Amino acid sequence: MRDVVVIGAGLAGLTAALRLARAGRSVTLVARGVGGLSLAQGTIDILGYTPERVLRPLDAVAAVPPEHPYAGLGPDAVAAAVTWLRDELGSELLVGDPAVNLHLPTALGALRPTALAQPSMVAADARGGLTYAVVGVRQLKDFPADLVAGNLARSTAPDGGPLGATAAWVDLPARPGEADPSGLTYARSLDDAAFADRFAVAVRDAAGAGDVVLLPGVLGVRPGAGRRLAELIGRPVAEVPLLPPSVPGLRLADALRARVAAAGVRILLGSAVTGFTADGDRVATVTVAAAGGPRALAASDFVYAPGGFESGALAVDSRGAIAETVFGLPLTAADAAGLVGPRYWAPHPLFEVGVRTDAAGRPVAGDKVVHPNLYVAGGILAGPEPWREKSGDGIAVATAVRAAAMIEGGAR
Amino acid sequence: MSRAEADRLRQRLNNELQRLTLDECVKCTICEQSCPVAGVTALFSGPKFVGPQAERFRHGASVDLSVDYCSSCGTCTVVCPQGVHVAELNSLARAVLKAERGVPLRDRLITRTTLMGRAMTPVAPVANAVLDNRLARTALEKVVGVHADAPMPTAHPEPLRAWLKRRPAPTRTPTRGPVVFFHGCAGGYFEVEAARCAIEVLEHLGFEVLVPEQGCCGLAEQSNGLFEQATASVRKLVAQLRAPATGVPIVSTAGSCGGMLKHEAHEILGLDDPGLLDVGARTRDISEFLLELHDAGELPLDFARIDLRLPYHQPCQVRSQGIGVPAAELLRLIPGLEVVESDATCCGIAGTYGLKREKYAIAQAVGRPLFELVAATHQGLVACDTETCRWQIAKATGVRTVHPIQFVHQAYGLGRVIAPSAVR
Repeated sequence: MRDVVVIGAGLAGLTAALRLARAGRSVTLVARGVGGLSLAQGTIDILGYTPERVLRPLDAVAAVPPEHPYAGLGPDAVAAAVTWLRDELGSELLVGDPAVNLHLPTALGALRPTALAQPSMVAADARGGLTYAVVGVRQLKDFPADLVAGNLARSTAPDGGPLGATAAWVDLPARPGEADPSGLTYARSLDDAAFADRFAVAVRDAAGAGDVVLLPGVLGVRPGAGRRLAELIGRPVAEVPLLPPSVPGLRLADALRARVAAAGVRILLGSAVTGFTADGDRVATVTVAAAGGPRALAASDFVYAPGGFESGALAVDSRGAIAETVFGLPLTAADAAGLVGPRYWAPHPLFEVGVRTDAAGRPVAGDKVVHPNLYVAGGILAGPEPWREKSGDGIAVATAVRAAAMIEGGAR
Repeated sequence: MSRAEADRLRQRLNNELQRLTLDECVKCTICEQSCPVAGVTALFSGPKFVGPQAERFRHGASVDLSVDYCSSCGTCTVVCPQGVHVAELNSLARAVLKAERGVPLRDRLITRTTLMGRAMTPVAPVANAVLDNRLARTALEKVVGVHADAPMPTAHPEPLRAWLKRRPAPTRTPTRGPVVFFHGCAGGYFEVEAARCAIEVLEHLGFEVLVPEQGCCGLAEQSNGLFEQATASVRKLVAQLRAPATGVPIVSTAGSCGGMLKHEAHEILGLDDPGLLDVGARTRDISEFLLELHDAGELPLDFARIDLRLPYHQPCQVRSQGIGVPAAELLRLIPGLEVVESDATCCGIAGTYGLKREKYAIAQAVGRPLFELVAATHQGLVACDTETCRWQIAKATGVRTVHPIQFVHQAYGLGRVIAPSAVR
């Protein structure tokens, strides 16, 4: 029997597993896939919109409504959790101050608030008077340099000052015979020093006027390539995350997974959890669909961090019934009728549906804890649409740290 | 290959459960990120592209020939967060493609593992010499299409069955009940040492080891799109493994072949045979089996020290079984043994993929990070659970590559000490 089984391999699951393993617990992490962290921007959002754009995320965390997942945590716990992650991954991967949002250009030239970012991105943090030399790569279709520059040039920095931008292009195939490389393919080529040098020369020669050279987010799968490029280009360089496959996201995911593995966590991937057995009100085992047939994983405590609707942990059937698919946990709504807005960009209250917990992060029915040894973390929690307010990373890390702390402390 | 078989396979591709998972694909690209082949060559357009995407355009026709460059490592299915059976879809699509266009003689030859073993054993020294001969290998590449530098097994002069007959009967009375031992073709004919070690370790632990006559699991045939032959092979093997006893664990030293019994024959060949499902549910990789004993507090830990830094690679087809990395955990129980886990997705060989003339360079590129890790960390030995992967690693690095159970055998003091290759 293991001390803890963690379900889910995203930011929340990896964080909980790492914290618990470091605390000396025997941990098994089980997930249907490899987790969604590598699809994200490779930054850590705490709170970006309330719905106004947030400049100081911890202040905004202190002011969330009582049903928000942050309300039970408070700004100090959120700051401590996010700071721990930053220091754990190191300044090669994550920099920034949880108290202050950066405002980084997107691949459409909008400004996106986020708390922590990779060192290869932060030179683009928008401030009044800054000008960008946007450089696209003809082979990469997901970074339209002219559109990015045009949108940035008509944007205003959070301090109210103007921004400027120019657009230019380089034409440099990464892999022979490939007309349409993904960002990842291009990044792999840039891990090769000789190709990176050719790329730097091409960018240096092509880039227009601007304080910061803004490039697509493909500057090497390994962290650190941006520094050398900046030296060769002779100006500060910043990369912008692209559509998946997201190279900065992959860097973050690889680094966190490597730490989890090195901490001795037993990792079962490609194995969906399909159900559980109970011993009284406690969870005794979870059932895993391993190759060959179901296996029961027994543990003293369980952390459930499976994500929400996007991962299938929450599901709506054809009659509109909303369900949590493994433990059948009570949700904040049972019927999807009326919860999907009429327009794509309209609010969709369906995505606010999720699990409510006690102060320790255990699911509750009314105010009664459902299973005293089951903790939830991340996207399955009820609360505002995380992609709308840009809070998913902070919620994931802070609730995972809380779950680990409660298990370590023996909260009952 | 007949038109009728192509139609049959196409029917399955169109109708079966695998295809239903297509609609679960959200085009997230996680499989593309993880695909070892797409990472090193533009010839393979990636698991999502040839799989859930191209599948929508097939309507029975093969639309993307690059599916033949899939190595069947299965990583895409393991990493998919939505439960799409990407690898299974692509295996079926490739079988259809091959049924339509004909299967090269080479692909029929290299899949006949048992036959190769039987044919080579009586003439092992001669056969081995021929495979070591540069001229012969060049001819083999020209005529058959097996790359001249690709790793080839070495036939053992004494097959496992001959050793089982020759050795004195075990003196210890079993204390734990019977297990059926599955050694695979390689354990029977090429890497007899690993199979012997496993039998002796299991007997040392008090198990009665039943070793039925056993043939090939059909995995190599399946990976080459020869589904009819693969089906016949695995059905025969299932009957053989069920013969000696019902309900007892089936313990395997053939890493990837164990996966064939556990899930691939069911999920890729589409066999719903109750006998197969019974065997699949009872099959355990030997490291998985021993680690289960350890978790239950039933594995003696009186291991002798082995002072060694040991690179260990988990084969893709073992990882896809969803059992974690039991060999690494098991080896770490041995005092002195410093296990360096490779995080390489695949060694490149993927069964028979890396033998092929047109795929050899890709397979070497896929394996390069692993070979570099071995070169940087080894002290004369590497551990790996699957035969063809061991041959690939040994050939590429020059370092002796053995099954993890051989270290457990040595640590229990059962008489054999693994001789390292010379450290370069």
